[in-house]
Amino acid sequence: MISNDPPPLFGSWRRAYCFALGVFAIEIALLYVFTVRFS
Amino acid sequence: MNRLDYVVLIATILAIPLYGLWRTRGRETLGHYLKGDQSIRWGTIGLSVLATQAGPITFLSMPGQAYESGIGFIQNYFGQPFALITVCAIFVPIFQRLKVYTAYEYLGQRFDQKTRLLGAFLFLIQRGLAAGITIYAPAIILSALLGWHLNLTIWLAGGLVIAYTAFGGTKIVSITQRYQILIIFIGMALAFGIAVHRLPANLSFGNTLSLAGKMGKLQAVDFSLNPDKRYTFWSGIFGGFFLALSYFGADQSQVQRYLAGASVTASRFGLLFNAVVKVPMQFLILLLGAMIFLFYQFEKPPIYFNQPAYERAVALEHGSELTQLQSEFDEVFARKRAALISASSDELLKLDAEARSIRDQTKTILERAGASPKSNDADYVFITFVLQHLPHGMVGLLIAVIFCATMSATAATLNALGSATAVDFYRPLIRPNAPDHHYVVATQLLTIAWGLVAIGVATFANLVENLIQAGNILGSIFYGSILGLFLVAFFLRSVRGSAVFFAALLAQMLVLVLFWTLSISYLWYNLIGCVAVLLFSVILQRTVFLEAVGA
Repeated sequence: MISNDPPPLFGSWRRAYCFALGVFAIEIALLYVFTVRFS
Repeated sequence: MNRLDYVVLIATILAIPLYGLWRTRGRETLGHYLKGDQSIRWGTIGLSVLATQAGPITFLSMPGQAYESGIGFIQNYFGQPFALITVCAIFVPIFQRLKVYTAYEYLGQRFDQKTRLLGAFLFLIQRGLAAGITIYAPAIILSALLGWHLNLTIWLAGGLVIAYTAFGGTKIVSITQRYQILIIFIGMALAFGIAVHRLPANLSFGNTLSLAGKMGKLQAVDFSLNPDKRYTFWSGIFGGFFLALSYFGADQSQVQRYLAGASVTASRFGLLFNAVVKVPMQFLILLLGAMIFLFYQFEKPPIYFNQPAYERAVALEHGSELTQLQSEFDEVFARKRAALISASSDELLKLDAEARSIRDQTKTILERAGASPKSNDADYVFITFVLQHLPHGMVGLLIAVIFCATMSATAATLNALGSATAVDFYRPLIRPNAPDHHYVVATQLLTIAWGLVAIGVATFANLVENLIQAGNILGSIFYGSILGLFLVAFFLRSVRGSAVFFAALLAQMLVLVLFWTLSISYLWYNLIGCVAVLLFSVILQRTVFLEAVGA
């Protein structure tokens, strides 16, 4: 691997991780709504 | 299958490896062979990681799982995003800084040679067996339904993978996986579209989902705290986290995928891509199973999806019993079909339970007749739907999807098994200080050897449970201990090699004993094994190996 990586897309990796967790939280919320609506 | 299907199948499964061979032609160094010259971008890494995890079992068994039990299996993946972020934050920079070829090299640098060998050994056992299941699972189903010879099917998938993986190493695995997963996506999307299209025209998609929900197939999230339930939100978050952390952080078949990245950034984005894509992808595959379930509420399903096994039982003088059950099944289906739109959820569930009971009785007769199949009937649901209800050409494409999934998952596994054996065992123990090219050839030969082991396991495999679970159970038994080794290495700086080595051995024995004596969800063994290594290593370090620290 190359040590001098370009700067990450989200400004910092913490923000990238938060973004991924945020998307995941939305997915879980949608699945919960789906469960409540259809079962 | 007709001629068009065979053309589509053969063209698809041959074209991708041939393109990969063309892209990776030329002599390679060990670094190129094991890490793919580290020029691979994050998109390819993301698809490669996805393809490695999503083997044929995912596409064959998971729709059947939803058909039988609903889409609750999705919860198994809830721990994965947390695990992938942990791997991005902790594992990737350490592996990158130390420039290791395998994850177990790190254990050797942090602890000692015996701990490195133990980690690699546990991986080799688990993955060697799992590779056999990966090849066997689709082969047994395809050979049963298409009338192909079982061993020929195993050798067709296994032989092709061995050839191109041994030749091209990590780079060919990543390149072929990118196209194989694209074929898989296209095939599954078309199957989903056709399943929905084949439902009655007067049923809107919303009504379709309502009906599936009424029949108990759409409970995606279950917050129950009952440990006996196999799939709950909590077992998914905690057990799934440890399973995924072990898999992505300590399983060489995945570590090798992201070590091939052009940069740390590429590796991390490839993993984060999986963190956000995995749950929706699995949801759609499970929803496909629920749609097939609904389709078979309007169109009469076979009483037993593994029809060749059923026909063997008929031929073995069990015809009258099975005919009786078939007429009962037809009668229950007709009542259920008539009540579908108007009946309450309880009435439909009762009728469904009646139909299920008749199917269970059929299975009992098949077992008594000695025609019992070696896999769960649910594994035959999706492929039966494909063979009986998809147009020609599409059938060939969907069979190619199964082969692509088999080849992509097996290629990553063989690549990792060959690499770990060469780097962790052969180079330090048998032939240190040989020229670089010698290790490339050794790794190629070891990859072929592991391929033959996997084919051997596949040839003699006897599965006892649902294929999807067999793979996960096998992983859960070993992964906890392997992950424990890495977590001790990262977080318990005072623990030395001997303490963690014996702690891992004790933890592995504990997990095996618990597995044979308890009936808890298998995901918990990841947590138990991992916590046991952490606890035992601290205790051993502070008691038995206390002097070693002072010395």
